[in-house]
Amino acid sequence: MSRYDGKNVVITGGSSGLGLAAAQHLVNNGARVLVTGRHQETLETASRLLGDNGVAVQSDSSSLPDIDALTDRIRSEFGTVDALVVNAGIGSFDPFDAVTEQTFDEVFAINTKGPFFTVQKLAPLLVDGSGVVLTTSIANQKGWDALSVYSASKAALRSMARTLSRELLPRGIRVNAISPGSIDTGKLDKEAPGKAAQLKAQFTESSPMKRWGDPSEFAPAVAFLAFDATYVAGIELVVDGGESQL
Amino acid sequence: MSDHTNKRVVITGGTSGIGLATAKALIDNGARVLVTGRTPASLEKARAILGPDAIVDPGDALTDIDALVRRATDELGAVDLLVLNAGATVSSTVDETTATDFDALFALNAKAPFFTLQKFLPLLPAGSAVVFTTSVSNTKGIATTSVYSATKAALRSMTRTFARELIDRGIRVNAVSPGPIDTGILERTMPAAAARQFLEQIKATNPMQRSGEPEEVAKAIIFLGFEATYTTGTELLVDGGASDL
Repeated sequence: MSRYDGKNVVITGGSSGLGLAAAQHLVNNGARVLVTGRHQETLETASRLLGDNGVAVQSDSSSLPDIDALTDRIRSEFGTVDALVVNAGIGSFDPFDAVTEQTFDEVFAINTKGPFFTVQKLAPLLVDGSGVVLTTSIANQKGWDALSVYSASKAALRSMARTLSRELLPRGIRVNAISPGSIDTGKLDKEAPGKAAQLKAQFTESSPMKRWGDPSEFAPAVAFLAFDATYVAGIELVVDGGESQL
Repeated sequence: MSDHTNKRVVITGGTSGIGLATAKALIDNGARVLVTGRTPASLEKARAILGPDAIVDPGDALTDIDALVRRATDELGAVDLLVLNAGATVSSTVDETTATDFDALFALNAKAPFFTLQKFLPLLPAGSAVVFTTSVSNTKGIATTSVYSATKAALRSMTRTFARELIDRGIRVNAVSPGPIDTGILERTMPAAAARQFLEQIKATNPMQRSGEPEEVAKAIIFLGFEATYTTGTELLVDGGASDL
């Protein structure tokens, strides 16, 4: 018997990067996993990688109607949910004085508001003893160049790990955050075109482990918080090669 | 749980409570485990629970570190996970704490783990891990725990500095920070009525309205030891949400 046999897992932003790595890890250990993403192309790839126990659904984390539709889909697909990984998010690398209101609103909509309402709408499907994992970032406790909006959106999410945990504990639902550092998902190349190579070299140099993390190192931490950490609530677990601590 | 076949593990304070639960979980998954403990009763109980494959060592955490390292060298050769879990609790107000009490607790909870790790270093290969057991009290002000909490704060600090010093050798160092865990230690260190009252209070105040089980901390130790390959210098709370909520 596999470790997560018969478990129903939902991972938003699970069609690529960290979310997809977590989905693969859980599927490989017996779980049924529904992942969401915005782009048809990545969803098709995810669907192929996850096989029969994976479902890929197009859904925009910042759209409340999409979240409602997703909730209906999950209800018909799974009925109930054992673990919810709210992982959808977007990077943003503008210097403070170049940040527009549009950027600010978009980043908070995807990284903060969407996750909030995803938990709110899906909470009725979460079983007693289930776990919610919010993907934050170590940027939320650091002061880094050109990350003001991103870091603030993730700090807000980290806060929600505490308050939602407090509010959902009476229903037997644990909420925790997972805080990745520099993990190579390939997204940087898309989000910071032209700057990616330089940023990567910089992070490699400054990382205590002198390397980037691999998405496969993130996945077991998600599984641990979702299923094994039964006496853990409201925390943020860092997966950052020591960057925030050393 | 994952397969830990032939992983070599040393757990100080591994004959009762959290250490024993960790040893049991690892042995059940194929690891070779050496545990240390001090009292004859707990050593005997550990032998019974862990079975004939476990190495149960009656070493004193303070004075027998060299002997323990020799034993680990002979029995295991090298160590993939070192869990420095041995420690003691003392409950006393600041005005009744003597210098002797102070020194004794720091010796056991801070100095012994420091030198145990130092002397185990030659046995720790690249890719191995160290886990310290700290306590949520190291970030809280809880009456009558001043010395205990300070020893654990020292240990939490060492987690960071050791992590930094050992990172180039490929050794990760992390801490697990238990909140109220039902290990039976209260009943052993407090009058029965006081222990009962304390447990009732935990139920009333803990966000999960219960104390934790040693097995729940064991899972966190094993996660840090074998799965958290991109995590070092952290402290993982297992406290029912008491610190954050």
